[in-house]
Amino acid sequence: MELNCLGMRCPLPIIKLAKALSSESEVTLLSDDPATLPDLIAWSRMTKHQFALLDTNKYLVKKL
Amino acid sequence: MGSITSRFQSEAPLHPAARAFLADAFDRGWADPSKFHAESRRTAILLNEAKELFSSHLGVRTSQIEFISDPALGFHLGISGLLRDDSTFFYSAVDRSEVFAVAALHGSESLPVTLTGTAQYPQGAPHDVLAWQAVNGETGIVSAHPSNFAGRIFVDATSSGAQTSLPERWSTALWSSRSWEGPAGVSAFAICDRATWRNPLPHFDQRISSSDLSIPLVMASAIALEAHSRDYEQNRATLSSLNSRIREFLMNEISDVDIAGTLASTVPQLLSFSCLYIDAERLVNELEGHGFSVDSGSACSSANMEPSHVLAAMGLLTHGNIRMTLHNATNVEEVERFLHTLKMIVEDLRE
Repeated sequence: MELNCLGMRCPLPIIKLAKALSSESEVTLLSDDPATLPDLIAWSRMTKHQFALLDTNKYLVKKL
Repeated sequence: MGSITSRFQSEAPLHPAARAFLADAFDRGWADPSKFHAESRRTAILLNEAKELFSSHLGVRTSQIEFISDPALGFHLGISGLLRDDSTFFYSAVDRSEVFAVAALHGSESLPVTLTGTAQYPQGAPHDVLAWQAVNGETGIVSAHPSNFAGRIFVDATSSGAQTSLPERWSTALWSSRSWEGPAGVSAFAICDRATWRNPLPHFDQRISSSDLSIPLVMASAIALEAHSRDYEQNRATLSSLNSRIREFLMNEISDVDIAGTLASTVPQLLSFSCLYIDAERLVNELEGHGFSVDSGSACSSANMEPSHVLAAMGLLTHGNIRMTLHNATNVEEVERFLHTLKMIVEDLRE
């Protein structure tokens, strides 16, 4: 599924991502908030997920 | 908004001992110490007495100490003054923005840090320069001495204050009066050996900065330094047990909290943690409504809407961040009230 969080400020993209991943196995996140990349790194470590940067402001996120 | 009853933000008011001395300092230290009038000689003597106090508390010789008014200028003096045309300047990704600003002027290399907040220092060449931060002002993480670095070392002691343990070999060092409850507008700057340092500012004599320094404020800062150091030694064990209690509560009572460093890797008076899924601006405002003032490194609470470069470089969560400073007067009752209020607010905001 694709989750469009463009224009949203932290922590909204991470909150919406966590909700989406409670029912999906992988999510493509679109986010242009400057805190998203550092927060994805920390959030993945804390909640056991992994992500890949697909393009500028575009991330593929999965459960570990 | 209610009034603030417990202060956990980084700034502190002037130490009472320095405040009590202020009027006297301005009465006695107003003259130009380089002239030969009786008042000038008196000011020169008072300035020397202040230097003696700085010397004994900071661990440097009086001949090595200079005073400047602007800490940001101190970073330029301390770093650029050591660089030659062929030097590489090494600095850490968690250094202060002022270091980044100086790095942008020179050939430089940023050193990455791990989750522990520490960088691997290179060996470097004798003419290279390293900025070494004694204590990180956001996370309280204490840096190991850069013993393997062969070049010149600039010590950023602006957050570690009088508790700075200088490396065995250092070239320049900078302290901020604010770190020991002294007045703003005074920084101590030290040059280990004048032969290795070249003034990067326009200058016409041996004085390093032509800014109009307030000698009464330097004297007040010396009084604050002495009083704060005494208070800190008396309170160090209490601060450490409060810090330990906060960490224990955050780990056991609130879920999904990312804490910077450990009790052993940080100074006891500083603590940074981030609460997952929490908007820091709302958290800070709610805490203030309950009488607690704190700082935050989250993007939504910064002027430029960028997250803290320190948290990002370490890989720590940047949203929902709270930075607490425990002051010498902080007591266990207000810490307990803070922790239980924090838990209630975080639970409310997460719903």
